[in-house]
Amino acid sequence: MTTTTSAHTARRTGAGPGNSRMRARRQRDGGPAMLMAAPAVLGLAAFVAVPFIVAIVLSFYDAQLNQVRTPKFFGFTQYVRLFTDPVVAGPFFRSLLNNLVFAIVVIPVQTAIALGLAILLNSKLKGIPVFRTIFFMPVVFPMALVAVIWRLILDRSGNGLLNAFTGFVTAGHFVPQDWLGSAGTALGAVILLSIWQGAGFQMVIILAGLQEIPTERFEAASLDRANAWQQFIHITLPGLRNTLIFVTLYTTIMAFQLYDQVYILIKTAGGNQTALQTVLYQGTSSLFDENNLGRAAAVTVVFFAIVLVIALVQRSLLKQRTEE
Amino acid sequence: MSTAPTTARRNAQRTARRIRDYIILTVLALVFIAPIYYLIIGSFKPSQEVLAGFSGFLPTDLSFANYGSVIASLSSDSTGYFYQFMLNSFLISAAIVAGGLIVNSMAAYSFARLRWRGRDRVFVVVILLVIVPFQAVAIPLVYLLAGMRDTLFVQIIPFIANAFSIYLFYTFFLGLPTSIEEAARLDGLGPAGTFFRIVVPISRPVFATVAILTFLSSWGQFLWPSLTTSDPAVRPLPLEMSVFSGQSPVDWGSVFAFGTLLVLPILVVFLAFQRFFVQSVAGSAVKG
Amino acid sequence: MNRKRSLARTGTAILAAGLAAGALSACSQNSSAGSSQTGDGTGTINVWAHQGQDSEIAVMQAAVSSFNSSQSKIKVNLRLISSDTYTSTITNTPKDKLPDVMEMDGPTLASYVYNQKLSPLKQYVSASTVSNATDGSTAEGTYNGDLYGLAMYDSGLGLYGNKKLLDAAGVAYPKSAADAWTADQFTTAVKALASKSPAGKSLDVNESSLGNEWATYAFSPLVESAGGGLIKDNKADGTLNSSASVKALTTVQGWKPYVDSNADGNAFPNGRVALAWGGHWNYPTYSKALGSDLVALPLPNFGGGTKTDAGSWTFGISSGTKNGKAAGAFLDALLSDRNVKAMTDANGAPPATKSALAADKLYQPGGALALWGDQLNHACPATAVTPSCIAVYRPVTPGYPTITAKFAGALSAIWGGSDAKTQLDNAAKAIDQAYTDNSNYQ
Repeated sequence: MTTTTSAHTARRTGAGPGNSRMRARRQRDGGPAMLMAAPAVLGLAAFVAVPFIVAIVLSFYDAQLNQVRTPKFFGFTQYVRLFTDPVVAGPFFRSLLNNLVFAIVVIPVQTAIALGLAILLNSKLKGIPVFRTIFFMPVVFPMALVAVIWRLILDRSGNGLLNAFTGFVTAGHFVPQDWLGSAGTALGAVILLSIWQGAGFQMVIILAGLQEIPTERFEAASLDRANAWQQFIHITLPGLRNTLIFVTLYTTIMAFQLYDQVYILIKTAGGNQTALQTVLYQGTSSLFDENNLGRAAAVTVVFFAIVLVIALVQRSLLKQRTEE
Repeated sequence: MSTAPTTARRNAQRTARRIRDYIILTVLALVFIAPIYYLIIGSFKPSQEVLAGFSGFLPTDLSFANYGSVIASLSSDSTGYFYQFMLNSFLISAAIVAGGLIVNSMAAYSFARLRWRGRDRVFVVVILLVIVPFQAVAIPLVYLLAGMRDTLFVQIIPFIANAFSIYLFYTFFLGLPTSIEEAARLDGLGPAGTFFRIVVPISRPVFATVAILTFLSSWGQFLWPSLTTSDPAVRPLPLEMSVFSGQSPVDWGSVFAFGTLLVLPILVVFLAFQRFFVQSVAGSAVKG
Repeated sequence: MNRKRSLARTGTAILAAGLAAGALSACSQNSSAGSSQTGDGTGTINVWAHQGQDSEIAVMQAAVSSFNSSQSKIKVNLRLISSDTYTSTITNTPKDKLPDVMEMDGPTLASYVYNQKLSPLKQYVSASTVSNATDGSTAEGTYNGDLYGLAMYDSGLGLYGNKKLLDAAGVAYPKSAADAWTADQFTTAVKALASKSPAGKSLDVNESSLGNEWATYAFSPLVESAGGGLIKDNKADGTLNSSASVKALTTVQGWKPYVDSNADGNAFPNGRVALAWGGHWNYPTYSKALGSDLVALPLPNFGGGTKTDAGSWTFGISSGTKNGKAAGAFLDALLSDRNVKAMTDANGAPPATKSALAADKLYQPGGALALWGDQLNHACPATAVTPSCIAVYRPVTPGYPTITAKFAGALSAIWGGSDAKTQLDNAAKAIDQAYTDNSNYQ
C-alpha cells in the first residue's frame, strides 16, 4: 500500500517529467539515459517492429515457409483477397467479428463480475481471504490447460458436467446442448471459460482500489441517508475511476490475444471453427495448415494495424479522462 | 444517538445482509472452484470415470496410477524426460523474468525520470506496443528466427523486452517522490547509480508485480514453443500435454494428471505466498 | 533538424526493407545446396517419428535400440514428437535442420518433395527393401516417378460393429464389401440402433478430430463413393463441390443427433454405441473390449460402390542428410519382418511389406479384419477411382495440405450445422486459388 500513498504524495508535490526544476538539471542525462533505455527499446524493435516490417514485405509475395522456388511478387493481391474475395474475406471478416464480439462482451462483463466480487469481498465478513483465494486461483492456470478442462465440462453428451448439471436442475427437461459445436453457443462458451480464468485478476486489482477509498466518505453518505446504490454510483465508481481505466486497458489487451483456447478447442474438441476462429487463428492456420506465408503475413499486417488503431483511440480517450 | 429499536432493526438488517453475502459468495466460490476440483479429482481417477457426468466429481477409485503413467510415458531419450520438460520451463520462465526485470525497469526509469532527446516520441511508440499481442508477430518471427530453432534462447529472447512491463514500471516510478533521487544526484551518483542503488531498493512491490505477471504468462507458453522446437532437450512442459490428449482413446486421467503437475508449482507458490501474490497483482493498478 | 530526422527515418526504412528482403531471399537461395550426400555409412544419424500410442512408441524404441546394438558403425538417435504438432513441425523446420530419416503422414509427402526436403530413396535403401514394399506403400511414396517414402504399415478404415447390439436391435449388417449398406440403409440402421440405446446414440465418428486429417481420411471416401472427389486435374471446383459431394456430406450432417460425442474414447468399447467409424489403431482396444462381438464392416456405399481410405505414416530420407548410406541402412533394418510385425501387432495395422503382409493373420481371409484386408486388395489412386476400386489413396500432390485443411474446415463447419453446398463451394474455390497461385505446383 506504500505504492499508492506515495503516488498521491507525488502527484501533490508535482513530481515527474513536468517538474521544471528537475527538467533544468536533467538536460545532461543524454548518454547514460539512452543506454539504460536501449536494451528494451532495441528488443522491442527487433522482436516487434522488425517482424512487422518483414510481414509487410512478405505480404506482397506469394511466399511459403522453407520455399525453394523464388517467391512470386504478388502486389496487393493478398490484401484485395482479404477484403473482397468471398472465399478469403468470408472467414477473415468472420474472424474479425468474433474478435470484436469477444472483446465487446468480455470487457464489460468481466469487469462487472470482477467489480461485483470485489465489492462482496470488501467487507469485514469472516473468511474473506478464503473466498479471495478461490476467486483468484484460476488466474495461475495456463490457458492451454483451462481449455482442456472446460472442453470436458462443456462436452455435448449428457456426460459433460454442464449438461449433467442443467439436466439435473431441470429434472431432465433441458436436453444436452452442443456448447462448443453449435454456432450459437460456441463463442459464448469460450467467453465463459475466459472470464472464469481472468476475472480473479481484475477482482484483486479492483479490491485494492476499493480499499483506497476513504471510509469517511461512505460514513458521511450514510448520514445523508444515501442508499447502497447511490453510494455505489456517487462514491465507489468515482473512487475507482483510475483503477477501472487500468482494468479496461488490461482486459482489452487480453481480449485481442484470444488464441490458445480457440486453437485447442477447434483442433481437438470439435469446436465450431466458423464461430470460434479469430484473426490470429486465421494467420497461423494460413501458415501451418496451408503453408501460405504471404497471406499469413497480410493477416498479421491488417491485425497489427487494427490493434494499433484501437490503442490510439484508447489512448486519446484515456488522455481526455485523466485530464478532466 | 439512535434509539434502541432502530439499533435492533439495524443489527437484524446487518445480519440478514451478512447471510445474503455469504450465500452469494459461497455459490460463486463453488462455481469458481468446481473446474479446479474436477481437474484434481480427475487426475486420481481411472480415465473412463473422468467424463461421466456427476460421477466424475465423486472421489472414488482414487490412485496415483495416472501420475505413474505420465512419468513413465516421458522417461526416455526419444520422448524426453518429464523432469527435463519441467526444468526447461523453469529455466525459460526464470530467464524471461530476470532479463525482463532488468531491461524493462531500466528503460522505464529512463522514460520516467531521465531526459534525453527523442524520449517522448520513443515512449509513445512503446506505449502503443502495449496492446500488440505477441501472436501477431509470431508468424514473421518464426521465419526470421529459423536459424535459432530448438534452443532455449529462441524461447527466451523475444519475451525479454516487454512494453506492458515497461508501462507498469513507468507508472510506479512516476509516483515515487523525487527528493531521495535528487539527494543522490547531488551526492554525485549518475543516473544508473541512482537507479540501481536508490530507486530499485524502494521499488520492490513493482518488481514483484512484474515478476509474477511475467512468470504466469511465460510458464503457460504454448504457441511459440510449438512453432520453434522439436528437440525434447529444450521443449517446455505445456507442449507435452498434447502427447496425452492426442491419443485415441484419450487418456483423460493422464491428461488431468499432467495438467495438475503443470499447474502445481505455480499453485503451491501462490498458496504459500498468497498475500504477497495478491498484493503484488493489486499493485499493478498503480494510479494510471 | 528536420532533414536529419527524415534522413534517419529513410535510413531505418532501408535497413528494415533490406533485412526483410535478405530474409526472403535466404529461403530461396539454398535450393541448390539441398542435395543429399551418401557419406561413408558410419556415424550418428537422427530419426524423427510421431509419438503415437504407447505400444507403438515401445516398438519404435525397441527397433532403434536393437539396430544400435546389432552393429557398431551407425548410431541412431530417435526423437519422438507429439502427433498433434508433428506435421506442422516438419513444415516449420528448414531443411538443414531436418533429421536424416523422418517419418511423415503419407499424403504430405509430395509437398515436402516440392519444397526439396526429401531425397529419392532408391540410391540409399537396398533393392530388396524396395521390391518388398506393397503396391500401396510404393504408390503412396512415389511422386513424379521417384520413390521418396516407404511405410511400415498401411491403414485400415471402416465401421466397427458391436454384434450383440446389432443383433439385439434386429439390424442386419453387411458381410462383405459388395454387400455394404447404402446411405439410406445405413441411416435407417443408425436410427434403429439409437432407438434401442439408453442415451439415444448409436454411432461414433471420432468427431473431436473432425478439424484434423481424420476428416479427410475418414470422410473423403464417402464423397468418392457418391461420385464426387477431392480434386481432379488440379481443379477442385466441379469435383469437391459437385452435387454428389454436397449430398453425401449433407447426409453425414443428418447423423449428428445419433452420434456420441465420445470425448472419452470409450463410446464403442463400453457399448454406448453399436457402430464406430474407425481405423486399425482402434482394433487392439476394441477387440480386447468386445472379443468375438467385434465385427469389421465396410463404410456405407453412397452410390459408386463402398470406398475406404488407405495410406498411413511413411518414412523418408531428408535432402539435407550427410549420411544417406547410413540412413538407408537404418530403413532397411526398420522395414524388416520382425519390426513390421511388432509394430502391426501393436497397432493393428496391415503391414506395408509384402513378406510381413503374407505372414499376417489379421487381414488375411479368416482374420478378424479380413474384410478390410480385402478392401486394400482393391486399391487405386484418387486420380483413377473406378467402381471396382475400394481403398482410395489420398491425392499425391504438393497442394494436399491445402486440400485437407479446406476439406476438414468445411466438414467441421457442416458438422456444426452450416450449409454443405456453401462450405464445399468455398473450399473448392480456396483450393483452386492455391493451385493457380502456385502454377499447379509444377
